[in-house]
Amino acid sequence: MFPFFSSSFLRNAFVGALAAGLSACELVEFSPNDHRARADQKDLTAKNLARLIAAPLPPGDTLRFVFSGDSQRFYDDAQDLVRSVNQQPGVQFMLISGDISDFGLGREMRWIDNELRKLKMPYLTVIGNHDHVANGREAYQEIFGPLNYSFVYADTKFVLIDTNSREYNFNGRVPDVPWLRGQLADLNGASRSVVISHVPPQDGDFDPNLRDAYAGTLRETSSLVFEMNGHRHDYSVGQPFNDGVTYVNSYDFEKRKYLIVTVFGDKQFRLKQVSF
Amino acid sequence: MAPTFLLAALLAAPPTTPDLSGPTASADSVAVAVVPATPNIARPARPGVAHYQPRHLLLQTGGGVGMLSLGGGLSFARRRLDLDALVGYVPARHAGTALTIATVKVKFAPWQLPLGGSGLALTPLAVGAYGSYTFGLRNAGKEGQYPDDYYWWSRTVRVGPVLGSSLSYALPDAANGRARRLTAYYELATNDLYGVSYYLNRRALSLTDIATLALGLKLEM
Repeated sequence: MFPFFSSSFLRNAFVGALAAGLSACELVEFSPNDHRARADQKDLTAKNLARLIAAPLPPGDTLRFVFSGDSQRFYDDAQDLVRSVNQQPGVQFMLISGDISDFGLGREMRWIDNELRKLKMPYLTVIGNHDHVANGREAYQEIFGPLNYSFVYADTKFVLIDTNSREYNFNGRVPDVPWLRGQLADLNGASRSVVISHVPPQDGDFDPNLRDAYAGTLRETSSLVFEMNGHRHDYSVGQPFNDGVTYVNSYDFEKRKYLIVTVFGDKQFRLKQVSF
Repeated sequence: MAPTFLLAALLAAPPTTPDLSGPTASADSVAVAVVPATPNIARPARPGVAHYQPRHLLLQTGGGVGMLSLGGGLSFARRRLDLDALVGYVPARHAGTALTIATVKVKFAPWQLPLGGSGLALTPLAVGAYGSYTFGLRNAGKEGQYPDDYYWWSRTVRVGPVLGSSLSYALPDAANGRARRLTAYYELATNDLYGVSYYLNRRALSLTDIATLALGLKLEM
């Protein structure tokens, strides 16, 4: 009895000391732009994708995900959002359309993860302009992962792309349209595609020299269900270029509303607004 | 109390003896200027040099102002008030780019408690504030990059409160008669941006979420 107690006591003490040591390490912050994080708060995109892919959609079930954006400095709202989303049946994951942080600081990204990791389902993000501020781009890459990435789930290829052109001072290379074209040319066996980015192409923060190439690429993609954005902090759905391509903008966390997106059939979809 | 001492220190900052006879000298500056030297804490190096300005060197990690920071400072008001300047460094592997951070800090410690005859003294509480400027950020904003007021906060300037304690050990006096001490200190701090985040989210965030810790050594010469 005693050895068992002793070893579990020691193990608990060791784990406790380790956790305290790790948090002390983060407490001794070198700069607000210091992006060091606990191992379980690094590479969150890869970790969430692994969770998602490990639970493929059963045949006959419908693709359904929660769409929100611009969590920024709305941590109290994030708590309530998680509570609400966790009550939604049949939702496979959550998408956040960028601006995870407000000031581009690693600690802010970890604060948001502290809330969103309580979701019953995995969540995925795309980088927003606020996440680029100061050394936020590096913090985002350390804590979340790549700025441009894609994955296939439920016969749908999701392409997430950095469209925060102003943060690169309109250098003509963001968004990476050739990369987008390549991603949409080969759907890795999926039959539908969805593109998610933070700044919508009709916005002044999107590189005007790349607007036509970006919108044109989407127009030519017959598999595209819609393009999804954040940045504008409010819900909208429409075809700003009148070219048959639908753009959906998310609520921000502060609006205390989110969308439940259902995709079915060829390219049909349904958007349900939920208040919390 | 602290603003009084700060004002007094600023008034008394030049290493010359303030003119105490003038009718315009304020009560505050007089109060500091005429404080007698406490034996074994601060001794006049030589006549004419203000004895309330011992110099010190600082070595620090953390506190949001460097993985390694070096600095120096002046003490006023019988070593109750410190005015410090530090330069900190953060390597690129921890912040994306290599950062250099310049910091100015004011700390006020009202009590020093000698611990027996051991040469140790405890400063149970120091309160203060700091301001820092960060050089080397990747995206601090270029001329014309953003419309006016696109981001309301500075990417380079941070300010925040500081709270800490320290333990000092008396070293043999220097050749010039100054009392020398080695002090180990810690400081809990935060910054304006963390403060705003906490103020707006007191349910989701706690004070420990926004706290930073600095550990340092101070050598009074």
